[in-house]
Amino acid sequence: MKQAKTWGSGLLLFLVMTVITGVVYTAVCTGVAQLAFPYQANGSIIEVDGVKYGSELVGQQFTDEDHMWGRVMSPSTGTFTNNEGEDVLWYGASNLSPAGDDFAEAVQARIDEIHAAHPEKGSEPIPSDLVTNSGSGFDPHISPAAAEYQVERLAKNTGKSEDEIRAIIEKCTEQPQLGILGDARVNVLKVNLMLDGILPVE
Amino acid sequence: MMDELIEYGVYVALLVALAIPLSAYINKVMAGDKTLLSRVLVPVENVVYKCIRIDKNEDMGWKKYLASTLVFSIFSFVGLFAILMLQGFLPFNPEGLPGQSWHLAFNTAASFVTNTNWQSYSGESSLSYFSQAIGLTVQNFVTPAVGLAVLFALFRGLVSEGHLGLGNFFVDVTRATLFILIPLSLVVTMVDVWQGSPQNLSDYETVQLLEPVGVDEEGNIVDADDPSAVETVDEATVPMGPQASQVAIKQLGTNGGGYNGVNSASALENPTPLTNLIQCISLLLIPVACVFSFGRFVMDRRQGRAVFAAMFVVFLASLVVVGVCEQMGTPQLAADGQVYMGTDGQSGGNMEGKETRFGVTDSALWATFTTSASNGAVNSMHDSYTPLGGMVPIILMALGEVIFGGVGCGLYSMLGFVILTVFIAGLMVGRTPEWLGKKIGPKEMRMAVILCITTPILVLAGSAVMCLDPATVDSLNNPGAHGFSEVLYAATSAGGNNGSAFAGFNANTPLINVVLGLEMLANRFVPIVAVCILAGSLCTRPKVAVSAGTLSTCNAQFVFLLVLMVLLVGALSMFPALALGPVAEHLMMAL
Repeated sequence: MKQAKTWGSGLLLFLVMTVITGVVYTAVCTGVAQLAFPYQANGSIIEVDGVKYGSELVGQQFTDEDHMWGRVMSPSTGTFTNNEGEDVLWYGASNLSPAGDDFAEAVQARIDEIHAAHPEKGSEPIPSDLVTNSGSGFDPHISPAAAEYQVERLAKNTGKSEDEIRAIIEKCTEQPQLGILGDARVNVLKVNLMLDGILPVE
Repeated sequence: MMDELIEYGVYVALLVALAIPLSAYINKVMAGDKTLLSRVLVPVENVVYKCIRIDKNEDMGWKKYLASTLVFSIFSFVGLFAILMLQGFLPFNPEGLPGQSWHLAFNTAASFVTNTNWQSYSGESSLSYFSQAIGLTVQNFVTPAVGLAVLFALFRGLVSEGHLGLGNFFVDVTRATLFILIPLSLVVTMVDVWQGSPQNLSDYETVQLLEPVGVDEEGNIVDADDPSAVETVDEATVPMGPQASQVAIKQLGTNGGGYNGVNSASALENPTPLTNLIQCISLLLIPVACVFSFGRFVMDRRQGRAVFAAMFVVFLASLVVVGVCEQMGTPQLAADGQVYMGTDGQSGGNMEGKETRFGVTDSALWATFTTSASNGAVNSMHDSYTPLGGMVPIILMALGEVIFGGVGCGLYSMLGFVILTVFIAGLMVGRTPEWLGKKIGPKEMRMAVILCITTPILVLAGSAVMCLDPATVDSLNNPGAHGFSEVLYAATSAGGNNGSAFAGFNANTPLINVVLGLEMLANRFVPIVAVCILAGSLCTRPKVAVSAGTLSTCNAQFVFLLVLMVLLVGALSMFPALALGPVAEHLMMAL
């Protein structure tokens, strides 16, 4: 009899907790978030004239000469499809050991690619975030140093002056929060939307 | 350099500064005293007791307390297992995702019911909103509550003078959830959303790519105008869902299972350095507070400080090693000076697998915090750490998650080491071992030893079984010594109930899912049984007066002995395995 009571209460506690911490908690968080921070709560989507160009928080791969390049990415299809069932891109981390031969080859290939596109930089060392894959595989940012490295190429290929490029970069740079938290970073998608004239610089 | 040092300081100082007042609050809550939130929450609490048909004043002996814990966990396991397998038939599934396979559902249910949150799957591409919120989030709340409940049962046994009750399991779990976990989670959720984390029930967004790409016949991504392209892809996905609410409790409950496959490295889960700070503190806050709660509970705060000091020494040493190794990077990355590794205008160092907004500092802090706690959330890919930088997390997990560890469970395992240390130190000076005025007898010793060696045994057995299967080679993402590290990391993560991973390792095979699932279950419930028996036994021990001959358990000498004991057990069991993995890779790196 007593044992049956323990089993009953155990089951009931599981069910009650499912309602409180699963249903009520999630509903309250969602409701308040949607009221207080609708832009963030819906994915920080950059939308211009009805076209959704991406989320501020999800990087895209750029390889064109007139776009700023971001972190190394390994895009793939097969994970997600859109409503029409067509393949869409998704990203992943490399998970390579930074002490391995595969990694050394990948870094060298990236270095060669960067050198080829930036002849004016000569043998100046490349910022380490520009030759590495990120943790998420879709890091939306690069360091200010990595952005500065590309200024001359961007000026040459976009017809803008170096000062204009630097102004755009500055506009898309977030400083460490409260002055000390994290690192300064440049949002690559936003820079490219401004370079393409889709987002206003001012 | 100075900025980095200040940031390290801020994280550690804030952690300790918040944990101390929280420890007082936790003790009040678990004792049923009046607190700030009582007016709102006591009525809710009483409704819960009515619904689950218990008498809140019932005081349970160790057998009933243990039985209640196990019964509740069994229902949690069965319920979650069913949700995961039946996902395809359940609501809130906008992507139309199918249920998990039996072995993956077994692994996932075991993982979340044991507070491990190891994930052989990627959440955003395989779980519905129903499974995430109603299945996983619920376990994220109740498993730390169970850990806290069992810890307080042990405390009550420790101070008992002949009284055999250890408290009421159902009341403890309810109060821990309502008064501690839910309020803190609400705060963290709102900060995360404010900073950018999604919280909705909408369909996934599809967005236009600025640079469309082509796909060739083998499925490789090529330029859009490449002649080998057979298909053009011009859209990408942005996963949505109730992310922030699940992420908040994932951190506070030392769970660690990410909403997304890449966990808190995803800017959707962890959008800014501020959320990184909040989440990182959250994931170690309650375990640190538990240590101070211990001192308060036994009415001798020095006892809590001594255990804290022992944990903190190992914690700081680990942080220094990870920070230095990652900032130095590897010769493979430096590529003979072609890559700039310094910190001017950038984080520098080993940025492979790390996010720009966090850099090396926030990543090294997180890696140390998350493997000290049995959290297991990551904000950078541990698989891509330098050999020694990646070895430290393995060691922290292999020590049995006693350097703070999980909510409740970290401290009760550490108290096992305290008993072991008291016993050995007592033998050295020829005294009957005593701890907090109680004689330590053979039964207490047996339980303490079980607490100390469960993790090492499971880790070594688990990695041995996986290595015996030739198919495991196919799961590796890196060749050579690093490949062995991937297996060792997985076994250690499961055997320490941590849940973080060398994520290149493909663990979604029947054998690996089952082995890791069994490891997780054993490492959760064997210690819980031992703690309940220990608490029951301590109740019956009469208090003896402290005399000049009693060994102090709160001076520097004891702290030193305790650290030594923890490291000794860890080193003796793990050194050969570490030598084959990370140590070997480090030695070969410079060649």
